[in-house]
Formats: sequence, C-alpha cells, structure tokens
Amino acid sequence: MTTIAVDSVDALRDRVRDAADRRAPLRVVGRGAWLDAGRPVVAGESLSTRDLAGITEYVPGDLTLTARAGTTLEEIRLATAAHDQWLALDPHGNDEGTLGATIATASVGPLSTSFGAPRDLMLGLEFVTGEGVVVRGGGRVVKNVAGFDLTRLLTGSWGTLGVITEATVRLHARPEADESIAVQLDGEAGVIRTRELLRRLPFTPYACEILNSPLARRLIAIDGVAAIIRLGGNRLAVAAQQTAFAALGPVTEIDGDVWGRLRGSESSGALVFRLSTRPSEIARAWSAASAVADECPGTMLDATPARGTVRCIVPGAPSSVESLRRLWGESAVTRIGERLTPELWLACSRPPTHDRISAGIKRTFDPHAVLNPGIFGERS
Amino acid sequence: MIPPVANIDQGLADRLATIVGERRVLFRPSELLTYTSDGLPSYHKQPGLAVFPGTRDEVVEVVRELARRNVPFVPRGAGTGLSGGALADGVVLIGLNRLSRVLSIDAENGLAVVEPGVVNLALSRAASAYGLHYAPDPSSQAACTIGGNVAENAGGPHCLKYGVTTNHVVALTVVLPDGEVVSLGNADGEHEGYDLVGAFVGSEGCFGIALDITVRLSRNPEAIRTLLADFMSIDAAARAVSAIVATGIIPAALEMIDQATIRAVESSIYAAGYPTDAAAVLLIELDGGAAGLESDVATVETLCKSGGARTVRIARDETERARLWQGRKKAFGAMGRVSSHLVVQDAVVPRTKLPEVLAEVHQIGQHHRLRVCNVFHAGDGNLHPNIAYDASDADETARVHVAMREIMTACIKAGGTITGEHGVGLDKLPYMEMIFSADSLAAMCALREVFDPDRRANPGKVVPVHSCREWHAAPSARPERVPA
Repeated sequence: MTTIAVDSVDALRDRVRDAADRRAPLRVVGRGAWLDAGRPVVAGESLSTRDLAGITEYVPGDLTLTARAGTTLEEIRLATAAHDQWLALDPHGNDEGTLGATIATASVGPLSTSFGAPRDLMLGLEFVTGEGVVVRGGGRVVKNVAGFDLTRLLTGSWGTLGVITEATVRLHARPEADESIAVQLDGEAGVIRTRELLRRLPFTPYACEILNSPLARRLIAIDGVAAIIRLGGNRLAVAAQQTAFAALGPVTEIDGDVWGRLRGSESSGALVFRLSTRPSEIARAWSAASAVADECPGTMLDATPARGTVRCIVPGAPSSVESLRRLWGESAVTRIGERLTPELWLACSRPPTHDRISAGIKRTFDPHAVLNPGIFGERS
Repeated sequence: MIPPVANIDQGLADRLATIVGERRVLFRPSELLTYTSDGLPSYHKQPGLAVFPGTRDEVVEVVRELARRNVPFVPRGAGTGLSGGALADGVVLIGLNRLSRVLSIDAENGLAVVEPGVVNLALSRAASAYGLHYAPDPSSQAACTIGGNVAENAGGPHCLKYGVTTNHVVALTVVLPDGEVVSLGNADGEHEGYDLVGAFVGSEGCFGIALDITVRLSRNPEAIRTLLADFMSIDAAARAVSAIVATGIIPAALEMIDQATIRAVESSIYAAGYPTDAAAVLLIELDGGAAGLESDVATVETLCKSGGARTVRIARDETERARLWQGRKKAFGAMGRVSSHLVVQDAVVPRTKLPEVLAEVHQIGQHHRLRVCNVFHAGDGNLHPNIAYDASDADETARVHVAMREIMTACIKAGGTITGEHGVGLDKLPYMEMIFSADSLAAMCALREVFDPDRRANPGKVVPVHSCREWHAAPSARPERVPA
C-alpha cells in the first residue's frame, strides 16, 4: 500500500479532496503503531500524519497543550515533564504512538481509573472532513460550551469522520508522590474484594489493575492473581492509601516501571480484545475471560475493576482462533476488539454506524466513504 | 427572528389538550407571560403556545403531533438559563418540569437514571442516602433541571475538580424532532462507536428532547475544608489562583469574588461574612480522603499568604461553610438590591491571562461609566462579569451593550472563548463568527441536521442561521486550490 505523508494541513486537505474526487478510499494513520490490528480496512492508499508534528502551544500555567496530530506521546511527555506536568493518557503500546491516533481511537490505559478517557481530557481539535474541509471544534481553554461538540464527536471515531490535524488537551500537574504497590489476590474472590474495596475507599487510586497468573508472573514475579495499584497525591495521602489496600492482603512496593511494561506486554501476533460489563459485574467478565485463558494457554488477563473491563491477550495461534469463536458463541459478555484476525473482527464487532444518527453523521462528514472504510469491522 | 408560525392555532391547542389535558396547554398571552424570559431578563419572546406533558409518552406524542404539523418547538426546563436559549419566539414551548422522577439509583455502580425535569439538587438529595451526589452544581442548582443541564452542558463551582455535565452523562434516551425515540451511549459497559452522548450534551435543545438521562454519581468526600482568603488587589488574588493550581493540588472549587460583589452580598440577606474592604476574596474548597488533606490545606494557606492574602480563614464547621458558599451562590440574587436589571456575562480565558483580562474588564467598565462586578470560577478561568443597570435608562442600557461586546472581544483576544457554561442561545449568536470559521459553523449546522433535518427544534439558536449554508455545497465554494 502506498503511504503518503504530509507535513501541512493544506497538503493534507488537498490529498483528501483528491481522494474524494477519485472516490479512492484512504487508510488514515499516525505513525502506524497499531496498523497490525487486523482491522479490515479496504483502502488502496495510506495517509499518514506522522510529519504533521510538533507542539504548537504550551503555556504551563494554563495546564493546556496544543500539538499537531503526528506529535508522539513521548515528545509531549518530555515537554511537560520539564514543568512537572503530564498528559494523563497511557494507551496500550508505548509513547511512540501519536496524539492524533490516541484521540482518534479513544485508547485508554490504566490511568483511566482516575483521569478518565481521552474524551475527558479533550478541549478542542482541528480536522479535515472526508470532503477536504478544515473544521475546528472546541477551543484552547479548559471550559467551553460554544457551539456543538465536534471535539467529542471526533474523539473515538477512528478516523472515519475526519483526519485529526491538531488537538488541545488538558494537562495535570505531577503529584508530590507517585507510588506503585502490588497485592496478591485469591483468584476470582479477590477480584470481587478489590472491586468492593475500591467502591468503599474515600479516594480513587491513579490506577488499579488485576492481573492473572501469567501476566503477574511476567510483570511482578508473583505466581497467582495479583492487583497492581498506582497511588498519587501528597506523601501523607499516599502513605494512607497504601495502608488502605492492606485490607486485600500483604502489600509490596514495586517499581513504577511496571506500568510501561504492562502497556507493552502484548506480543505482535497476539489476539487482543476486552470484555466489558458494569463494574459491579466484573466477576462475570473475569470468569468469561478465565474460560478463554483455560482454553488458550499463555493467555494474559488484565482487569480494570473501576471500568468493568477485562483485557485479554491471547497467543495468536490457529487453535486460539477456533477456541475464541466457540467461546464467544457461548458467552453473552460484550466484547470489544483491539487486535484480531479479519474473520474474528466480523464475529466480534457490532458495527456502530448502523443506527440512523451514526449513519447520518458518517454521510455528512465523509459522504464519499473515503476515510477508513471497514475499520469498525462493518461489512460493506 | 422566527416569524409567527401560522399553523399554531386553536386546532393544535385542542389536539395537544387531548394528549396532556386542557390545563396543561397555555394559549392566552397572560398565561404565557412567565415564559417570555429565562434567567437573562434582557430578552423577551412570547411563545405561540406552551404545553406541559407529564409523562414520557406524552412528550413523544406531543413531539410527533408537532412533526405532523411541521411546527417548530423549544424545549424548556426550569428556565434558569442565562443565554436566552429556552425562549420560544412564536413557536411551541414544551415545558419538561413535570417529568421530575428519579427513575432509579444504582448505588453499586454510582449511576442514576432521571427524567429531564428532575431538579439538580433533588438528585443529590436522593443520592445522599447512598453517600453519593451529582457533582455538577450550577449556582441555580436549587431550581435548574438535569435536562436543562444536559442541554447547556452546565458547569458550576465544583466542576474544577469533578468535570462538567458532559463528563457525567453516560447514556440518554432521546426523542428526535421527528418523533423517533433513540438510545445514545451505553450504561452497561464501555461504549463503542461515535460519541453521540458527547454530541448531544450541550446541543441546547437543537437535537431533540432527552426523555431519560443516565448520569454518573460521585462519592461524597470523606472530608471537606473551605477556605476564604482575602486580598488587597485583584491581581494578587489572580496570581494566587495560578500558584495553587500549579502545585498539583486540584481544589474542588476555586472561586473569586470582587469587592463590588462582596459589598452587594454583605448588604443583602445573603451576607456571608466576607471582608468588605478587600479588593477580592478567593473561596477555596479542598476535599477528598481525610489523610493528607490538612497538608494540602496548609500548602494552599501558605501560597495565599505568600501571594499577599491579608487573612486566610478556614470554615470551622458545616454551618460556617454553608454560609461562605451562600454568599457565592446567591451573589446574582444579591445584585438585585443594587439595580433593577442585571446582565451576566460568561467567558473563559486561559488562567494565566486572568490578571490582564480582569484589568481590561475594569477599564472597559470605567470607560463606559458602568460598575462591572466579578464573581466567577477562577480556577477554570471562567469569568462572569456582570453589570447591574436600569433598563428604563436607554443611555445606560446602550452603554451596557457596548461594554459587554468589548469585554467579549477582550476575552477572545486573550485566547479565550465566548461561553464556558451558559451556552450560546440567542445572546452569544453574534460572537460565534468571531471564534469559528464559516466552514466550522457550517459543519455544526450539518451535524444538527442529522438530528433535525427540518431545523424545527429550538430554531434560530446556537449557530447563526446565515452560517447554515448547504454543507455539501461547501467543496464547490472552496477557494482555488493551491498548486502542489
């Protein structure tokens, strides 16, 4: 597939117009970090924003940052760390991915427990529609209700409504203390107890993830189900928070690099998807995920009890595909694909563009269907 | 604006009466008087008719009847809005305040399902039995409705830490203007697909009417500390705001009240004990787990004092805290003592620009011989300059309008926006073209037309009508291409 990389909004706009005129679908990408997700996009050309990069405005006192879409999360991390600030987004993978792709995919990581999803950190963005029209929504200030909310509409739209060219995001100041701990849990009962404890605590940890044995062994050398928890705030608060988690079992302090290793824990050929329920039903999702792990040895599970999700990383063998197809047929828990084979995508996704409003929005912003057709796993 | 609509007649009134009952359809001008204004008294528009459905089915039936007859309508909650958004100019006004039931509370997951007419504070009261509350708290929270909050994407003092309405809405059932009922979002887990909840929240009644709303509830904090710091200059107070936010401590609320407002409050029944000789006070609330909170309180106190605060007072108990907040939340009410009319502005500037923008606002007031009062969400940079005046004085009224426009221009020039939480409605329409390109406004119109192809829901609001050119004509109207 040909990849076109543009370094200006004008050039990008012209490329999209050209594609629209030719009715030639485009695969929209950032740096291509997640391209092997097996999503069945049907496009002859790839349009990359990797050269449309750089921080355009950063006033530390405002705790806001504006950057072009191709800026990597790493560049933002370095720039903000110099002022003791951060963009509290930690999507799976690593910080080599771009801001634009993180927003377009609404990717979340462990920090979403406390800081929410990308939609909660978005202040404004600029994008180019499928007809090559440059549009801006929102603004650069932390509170804004001027006009209809195009910013949230584009966030998580997977490049199907427009190519994001620039975004303004909310930053946070780094806390005085940022500590990580681990607690070994008693299987599914431990999952339930963790969820119950989280509900009762007078604070929200930065992150709280529950790992099954293969993942716990790999990340923190614990044999068995374990919780890893990230705590932030002033020193006294963090010390008290650590004590609160002792209700689950003996607490061990661990190195903060565990979070980066968790984000990078999937091998390139793995099949990855999430099971989603209401948080109160996390045990149901954990049990369905454990059934997958029983069938497919080496499967790693990572639950986010605050969100009611369990992320499943399944070794990418033909037997896994067979097992998944069978298990999915038996289980009613909602599945959200991350990286699958094309046939599993079709078995997994419920096309989100079939309802009247979504379909109408797609037709409005991309009438010639040139932006990422098929990326939701929808049948054309 | 909207010409009187010919098909609003006795026939329509009779038909609607069969749906909602005769008493719930108002037709006579004297009955409609209450509905000619919202919280911003500078606009008066008389609805052609007002109808007050009492159930969700009645709302749907009313909307379908209006669709059949091609009649425009304006949804209205409590009418406390501050942008003229809930005014119906000759069209049908649909009052939703009778749909006031909290349908369910799922304490396990911190979710509540409510009808649109539930009063904001009533939801928090209902949730309090579970140790929960609904975080967005507009100053009008004792009267305003969740449906109205959703329409405006309402904020409030505690949104600094907890986020605005859009951060708290999980799912919605909506009747579209053509009468179709659709579900947006997902309360049962992660949502896939377009963020239609995000698009609907803040759509100011232009996308349809929410029949039920699933909101996230927040845990009541274990401990709360409320501080009052008084400063001898506005500039010092504004700088203290930035210093506090830079520490990483996120106050639950961080409000500024200037001297003119303090004096109005202190001479009213809402007197809160603010020092009347201070140039400005900061009302700062910290909350969360008890452990470590005192350490944050000490940090904030030190920052205020080193930033020039004369005194920092910490509320000793809930009574004192409530009193300090009463002065803030009832400030606009207290202004009623100063003059017969009040215009409240709403704009946001980058926090670091607060000192210079506040100085400019002061100068604009002086230049036009007006007293501009400021009481606002300083932590967010969300200004509410307000001017008390006498609308029967034509000269003064004219000066108020000019000053307001100059204030908005100054905020935009500082990199800000024209509304942080009150919405565009009618009042901010003229400013939309100052912050959005023609293409961006056309895109907003196009989005609205997906929900409401006939543009019958809250016509003439949010986006200037002339900006709503044919969206798909946009490419042909493009300037010549730049050669590659």
